[in-house]
Amino acid sequence: MKKYILLLAAFCFVWCGAPVWAQSPEVVVGSVTPLTGKLSVYGEGFQQAMNLALDEVNAEGGINGKPMKIFFEDNNSTSKGSVSAIQKLITVNKFPLIFGPAASSNFLAVCPIAQQNRTILIGAESAAADITKCGSYVFRVFPSDLLQGIGVAELAESLGYKEVVLTYVNNDWGVGLADVFKEKFTAKGGTIIDEFPHDEGKTDYRSEILRIKKANPKAVVNLTYIKEGAMLLRQAYEANVTVQWLMGSASKSPKLVELAGGAAEGVIGTYPTFSQETPAYQAYKSAWEAKYPDKKMPIFGEYNYDMVKLTARALRLAKSMDPDDIRAALFEAGKGYVGVTGDKTFDENGDVGAVYGRWTVKDGAITDYK
Amino acid sequence: MTYYAQLLLNGIIAGSVYALFAVGLTMVYGVFRFINFAHGELIAFGAYFVLFFIGAPFSLPLYAAVAPALTLTIIVGLTQDRFVYKPLRHRSHITLLIASIGLSFLLRNIIRLIWGSDLQTYGVALTRGVTFFGLSLTWIQIVMMATAVVFLGFLYVLLTRTMLGKSLRAVSDNMLLADIMGISMKKVGRTVWVLASIFAGTGGILMAVDTNLEPLMGLTNLIKAFAAVLLGGAGNVWGALIGGLFIGVAENLGVAFFSPGYKDFISFSIIIIMLLFKPRGIFGIAGGVR
Repeated sequence: MKKYILLLAAFCFVWCGAPVWAQSPEVVVGSVTPLTGKLSVYGEGFQQAMNLALDEVNAEGGINGKPMKIFFEDNNSTSKGSVSAIQKLITVNKFPLIFGPAASSNFLAVCPIAQQNRTILIGAESAAADITKCGSYVFRVFPSDLLQGIGVAELAESLGYKEVVLTYVNNDWGVGLADVFKEKFTAKGGTIIDEFPHDEGKTDYRSEILRIKKANPKAVVNLTYIKEGAMLLRQAYEANVTVQWLMGSASKSPKLVELAGGAAEGVIGTYPTFSQETPAYQAYKSAWEAKYPDKKMPIFGEYNYDMVKLTARALRLAKSMDPDDIRAALFEAGKGYVGVTGDKTFDENGDVGAVYGRWTVKDGAITDYK
Repeated sequence: MTYYAQLLLNGIIAGSVYALFAVGLTMVYGVFRFINFAHGELIAFGAYFVLFFIGAPFSLPLYAAVAPALTLTIIVGLTQDRFVYKPLRHRSHITLLIASIGLSFLLRNIIRLIWGSDLQTYGVALTRGVTFFGLSLTWIQIVMMATAVVFLGFLYVLLTRTMLGKSLRAVSDNMLLADIMGISMKKVGRTVWVLASIFAGTGGILMAVDTNLEPLMGLTNLIKAFAAVLLGGAGNVWGALIGGLFIGVAENLGVAFFSPGYKDFISFSIIIIMLLFKPRGIFGIAGGVR
């Protein structure tokens, strides 16, 4: 009998007491990252940018003397994969803070789980306006589309277009963006002559083009992705529709020009931007070139870099690793923090502001619109 | 008025390509009595093989790439039959159906493996459409319609005027009886796969010239073809032709009344309505290549 009690005591010594005296020698946060699947081409760059920031954090002494680590969990670029990844990070690894997955749909799939489990979730690439409503534990260092809708409305207004046709991709992202645009554009006295969503992933948009032709506008606001945008531009050109196309940031890609050819010429769009002339950006650039001399700087790498640096700053300030303490520290750390991608002051929803630039297609290349 | 006429015209063009897809699908059904879900991949393979031949090291011009591409598509079609469907021929229709779903996944992923998931184009130069009586058309749309007319005309002659066509119809009427009468099942089966592959592949190529290519292109078009087949009565070649045209026109004219964002809703609604009320098609004919 005595033997069993001793054994039990020994067990208890190892297991019950473990969290108390086995203070972790490092600070680990989780990350749901697309390392396989269709977004993996981007995921690799995100991971490298995060690791670059991590190196700098640890060179500066880590989190109050302890090294910081990121535990990457793959989500196979899907919502389902993101959900199982975050469930593992929360229940098995018990991380108080997790970097969320790329693509708004994946991010939206995991944000209720993080919110429910009182786990901080931070996104670096998710733009959907709905993310604002995810809850008090959800943050992002990437500007919300809400701001972009306003940006496009301002673009149309500044170019002097009072009447436009509005078309948008028929999903959460497109509808949300279109709503913001409409509200802002009509409030300033603009008129939307015709408005219709278009399906994602289709190749034949000729009937949609006819609707535009029928309305006979001077400008069309087309809030869409690369592929859909390119097909719309191309088929409008073939149908002899000549309008000024106004687009958002999701279509700003050399692939759009490749697919649409000459039909993309003259498109004007907006995109969230930040100055590449700042010392912060230059430092990021040279650090990147030193660590990855053979690799091009990835899209959204800067946002991932800022996310890690800002998180480290917050973790240093946090009273404990409790999510509520980290949350308070994040607001504190963001206040007036200017990273590579600009001001990262969080509003009460955990969103950041943005500066919008303008792009256009000239001679088959994407350039800044002046 | 021109607005509706243009929608109608766009519908006829889209529908003529759907008809090319549907005819092959319905012929396979007529003879072998199962819906070949991998038919969509024949569409995609046709298009991707052209991409293969216009790229290095062949660098063929587009028109020259069509023949070798279709030859390879036929090989894919015949291989489907030889290694998957033939060994299962005497099993239940459900087995064949499930096998074809599996095969379609396999083939789609082969496309992804070889050419990647990204969108591709043939890089056809951009042209302004031509205008007749206020209706605009691009040259590729004209080619699409002309090809459909030629192909379907050829099929009509084949089915009604040749021995091969007649035996094909006999087999689809009654496979056992045709076998007893000495019609070569092997030959008929091969003909059906060759025709289905050519029709699907050609439609795929036309679509890719008109728009672009992606691994899922077969699946999206299969749904249209399936709706056309149901509408015309499974196994009925001319029903599939009319079904294809109907769906193309309905989808495009629908835009005038609903939002264009719900174009696919029309083909899905047709599938559901047909399955519920008229599973044998509007012509009410059961089976048989007619």
